[in-house]
Amino acid sequence: MDFSHTAERISQKITSHGHPVEKSGIEAKLRRLVDEFGVPPAEAERTVLNELAREFGLPVSQGGGSGGAVEQKSLAALANGEWVTVECKVVALTASPSPAIAQTGIVADESAAVRFVVWSRANAPHLDEGKWYRFESAVVDEYRGMLNLKVHSGTTIREVSHEGSLRPKITPVAGLAPGVACVRGKVVQEWEATHDRILQSGMIADESGAVRFVLWKEEGLERLNPGRVYTIYYATVDDFNGRLSLTLNTATVVPEEGDIDVNTGSESFQGAFVHLAPGSGLVRRCPVEGCNRVLSRQNYCPVHEIQSRYHYDLRIKGWLDNGEETREILVSRAQTEGLVGMSLDQARELAENNPLGMDEVFLRFREALVGRYLLCRGRQIDNRLLVSTCEILHYQPEQLADLLNRAGGSL
Amino acid sequence: MTNGTGKGMAGRRDGVFEREPARRVFAQELKESRVHFKEGQDEKSPSYILLPTGARCNRVFFAGTLTEKKKQGEQNMFYRARVVDPTGTFFVMAGSYQPEAMQQVARLEPPCFVAVVGKPNVYQTPDGAVLISIRCESITQVDKDIRDQWVLDCAKATLDRIETSAGTPDGERARKEYNIDPGLFRKMVYEALAQLKI
Repeated sequence: MDFSHTAERISQKITSHGHPVEKSGIEAKLRRLVDEFGVPPAEAERTVLNELAREFGLPVSQGGGSGGAVEQKSLAALANGEWVTVECKVVALTASPSPAIAQTGIVADESAAVRFVVWSRANAPHLDEGKWYRFESAVVDEYRGMLNLKVHSGTTIREVSHEGSLRPKITPVAGLAPGVACVRGKVVQEWEATHDRILQSGMIADESGAVRFVLWKEEGLERLNPGRVYTIYYATVDDFNGRLSLTLNTATVVPEEGDIDVNTGSESFQGAFVHLAPGSGLVRRCPVEGCNRVLSRQNYCPVHEIQSRYHYDLRIKGWLDNGEETREILVSRAQTEGLVGMSLDQARELAENNPLGMDEVFLRFREALVGRYLLCRGRQIDNRLLVSTCEILHYQPEQLADLLNRAGGSL
Repeated sequence: MTNGTGKGMAGRRDGVFEREPARRVFAQELKESRVHFKEGQDEKSPSYILLPTGARCNRVFFAGTLTEKKKQGEQNMFYRARVVDPTGTFFVMAGSYQPEAMQQVARLEPPCFVAVVGKPNVYQTPDGAVLISIRCESITQVDKDIRDQWVLDCAKATLDRIETSAGTPDGERARKEYNIDPGLFRKMVYEALAQLKI
């Protein structure tokens, strides 16, 4: 058996790290392993290579240079559990969340983008943003519904040159799925931060739909301007309890000129109001700037703890039901006052002069609302309708004639 | 799930609470119901009754006239109430497990129009008769306008069920279990509507 090719390959790998080695010595070691000890050639190659690598203090390389060749794939074709070879560009690097992880970020090719993780133990070369690399024998796995490319000690990485520029594919908001995506949309809403670590959260919408976004606090990141259109390259799309959310920390966010027609998810729902949920009626809100959460009975804010200088608000939380489907509705003060026929001041007065306090307002709300037919319009997020306009429906005699015809039609 | 782009919609709804809709059923149709079943093995799985017009029903919403209420029991006090629609009577119960509904019933003075949300239960008496009662979640006093809207709403829903349930699994099951001529329910709807003023 001829070991000169294999020896040449090993020699080159070691020499490329600046340690010239004798080919003949390598060849002898290979021959001994294969001929004397019956080691398969690929395994012999690996053994010799690792032995030399250790000798010179080089990162330990992986399974037989030529032996474990895996098919090169496009990123769009990756599937959970596969060992793959891919050529792609590092389009984003993010702060490593743990010492076990050397680098993490997003790689992309013409077909798709995925998150990648380089384990510290992989001893992989440092990757630079904007460069193309060939990853041999990386592993694809799935975490929270999104695919990840894992670089471990068995992966070889080599920088490659790439012709032409990468043209990222923009995904319509309605077509998002967990993973990594590029979106062009307008910031249509900005929400009060619900967590200390959140820099900004809100909604981004395009012609097809709307999705929430979150920007975690991180050095050098800036908030987006509400009303502005942005092209967002390589955001992470997370699935959180069945709701999608864009995390922009990985993304390159480019402000755009002009405006787009957004689909703000305007929806209407008509039905009977069948349940008034706790937290409706007169509520106290946290006074901390940007918080505004509803306080518990003991004036406790889940984030800012006990607050004695709250402000009052009126709202309705409850369920509309048309007999086939249900929709949770959330009605803010202006609409609530009209529906219930009670102003915020009247509600406060009622609460102050009544032994039941704020509960009395809740009970009045319930008597006024449950059983009523309502038509609500607003923005729908998942199964919840944030109501912008709401009207009480009334008996319509013309429907009676139609229904009588329908019922009597085939008697 | 092997491909990032192949995420089905099935997983999307995980974790999102979906409330069981409240069916619109006339008293006469509800009275004919006797098949009840549970979906899933879980203790918390919803239970349903099968309506003769071919739909599963975990909850009902109706508006009618409260004609009578009666306090019963000593230690486990509960209210029994009768609510009448154009086709018959609903038997409504509110016990100590529904303290809010019980307080609502306590404040009502029959006769008055009420809107009721509740869950239907099937009981069998010792002599084999089947009774349906409604365990009340909420009962509020309403006006005639709402009662009349409900009659239209319920008429439409009942006609929809009669016309669309054929071929659906629940529709086929109802046809087999009850074997009632749908024309009967059509007539019921017509007569209920005829009591309203044009």
